[in-house]
Amino acid sequence: MDIELFLEQLPVVVNALNLGFLQTLKLFAVTLLGAIPLGLVIAFGSMSRFKPLSLFSRFVVWIIRGTPLMIQLLIIYYFPGLVLNNNIWGSGDGGRFLASAVGFIFNYACYFSEIYRGGIQSVPKGQEEAGLVLGMTKSQIFFKVTLMQMIKRIVPPMSNEVITLVKDTSLARIIALQEIIWAGQAFMKGSQGISGAIWPLFFTAVYYLFFNGVITLLVGKLEKKLDYFR
Amino acid sequence: MPILEVKNIRKSFGGTEVLRDISFSLEKGQALSIIGSSGSGKTTLLRCLNFLERPDEGTISVGGKVIFDAADPATQQEREVRRKRLHFGLVFQSFNLFPQYTALENVILARELLAQEQPDYKHNKKLIRAQIEAEAQMLLDKMGLAERMGNYPHQLSGGQQQRVAIARALALKPDILCFDEPTSALDPELTGEVLRVIKSLADQNTTMIIVTHEMAFARDVADQVIFMDEGVIVEQGDARTVIEHPSQERTRQFLSGYTQNGAQL
Repeated sequence: MDIELFLEQLPVVVNALNLGFLQTLKLFAVTLLGAIPLGLVIAFGSMSRFKPLSLFSRFVVWIIRGTPLMIQLLIIYYFPGLVLNNNIWGSGDGGRFLASAVGFIFNYACYFSEIYRGGIQSVPKGQEEAGLVLGMTKSQIFFKVTLMQMIKRIVPPMSNEVITLVKDTSLARIIALQEIIWAGQAFMKGSQGISGAIWPLFFTAVYYLFFNGVITLLVGKLEKKLDYFR
Repeated sequence: MPILEVKNIRKSFGGTEVLRDISFSLEKGQALSIIGSSGSGKTTLLRCLNFLERPDEGTISVGGKVIFDAADPATQQEREVRRKRLHFGLVFQSFNLFPQYTALENVILARELLAQEQPDYKHNKKLIRAQIEAEAQMLLDKMGLAERMGNYPHQLSGGQQQRVAIARALALKPDILCFDEPTSALDPELTGEVLRVIKSLADQNTTMIIVTHEMAFARDVADQVIFMDEGVIVEQGDARTVIEHPSQERTRQFLSGYTQNGAQL
C-alpha cells in the first residue's frame, strides 16, 4: 500500500467514520434509554400472576429472542411501506433511525427482561417478608429493598448485553442506516474520491474496540461501587 | 381483657393440616413461649399472626377488636392488612436485614416510609426525621450496638445482626413482638447476647411471643408456655410448671429429649 496515498486518504476516512460512529453512538444510547425501563415492564409482565399477561409476555420474549435481530429490523422498516402501503417511518435517514431504534429497543428490552427476572427472583423471599412485616407496600418493597439488590446481581450479565449491543448496532446497516459500518463500506464502492479501499471498513473495528474498552472500565467502576454491601 | 386473642385457627397447605384449631390468649406485658418439635406448626402460627399466611378458619383479635376473621372477607382487604400487621412485629430466624442499608438505616427505613404518609410530614420533615433517627439510635444503643450503627449487615456478626433486627421491629412500636427461633441460625457462643436482649425486653414488660428451642430460656423468661405438636396445642400454662412438671405424656417425651442430652434445663 502506498504510504503517501494512505496519509492523504486518512483524514477523509476518519472524518466519515466519525460521522458514522456518531450515528452508532446515538442508536446505542437511545436503545439503552428505551430498553432498560421497557425491559422492567416486560419482566413484570412475565412474572405476573395474571396468567394471560404472563403467557403473552413470555410469548413475545420467545419470538423476539428466537429470531434474528436483522430480520426484525427488515420487517419493522419495510413491512408498513411495502405490505400495508403506509410507510409510517417517513423517508430518509430520520425514518431509518426511528425504525432501527424501535427494533433495537424492543429486542434488547426482551433480553433485559429475562436478566431482570432472574435478578428479582434471586433476591431471597425473606427480604420481601421483612418489608411486609414492617408495614411496607409492595412498591415500597420493590424500590427500597429489592431493586438495589437486583441491580447488584444483574450488573455482570447486563454488561455482557451492553457490549453486545455496541457491536449489534452495526446490524442497522441492513436498512441503510448510515452508521459506522455503512460509512466504512462506502469507500469500497467509491466516496469522496476514494474507491476500492477496504481498509476503512476494517478500521471501524478500532472504534468498536475502543468504545467497548471504555464500557468495560465503567462497568468495573460500577461493580466496585456496589461492593459496599453483600 | 387480653391484648391478643386467637380463636380456632386452622391452616392447611395443599391438604396437609398444619394448624388444627389453635386457640390461646395473651395478656398485655406478658411473654409467651411456644415450644415443640420442628414441623409442629409453631412458625406457621407466627406467620398467621403477621399476615404472611392467611388462616383458613378462625379469628384473631387485638385489644378486643377482631382484626382477622376467616369468614369475613372485609377483614382481609389488602390495604388494611398493611395497617393491621403493625400490631405485630416479627423477628426472623435468619434476620432478613436489608443488606444495602446500615444498621441505623435498617431501623429507620420503615418508620420513615410510614411517617411520609402523614399529612404533616411535608411541613415538619426535618423535625420528624430527626426524631425518628434519635429513637433509632436509642434503640440500637439499648441493644448494645452504639458503636455499630454505621456498619452494613455483612460487617456484623450474626448476634449483632439479630439485635439490629430486634431494634428494627421495636422501632414500629408493635403491640406484640414475635420471635421466630431468634437464635437458631446463630453459633452457640452468640446466642447468649441475643437471649439477654430478649430477657431485658421481658423485664420491661414487652408483650412477646417467642418460638424457641431454648427450653431453659423459655422457662426463665416466659410467663406462659404453649407446647405444640402436629398442629395442636397439647399443653399450655405457667412456663415453669409446663417445662418442669408437664402434665401430658407427649410434653414429657418432648422435654426429655432436652434433658437426656445432658443439656441443662
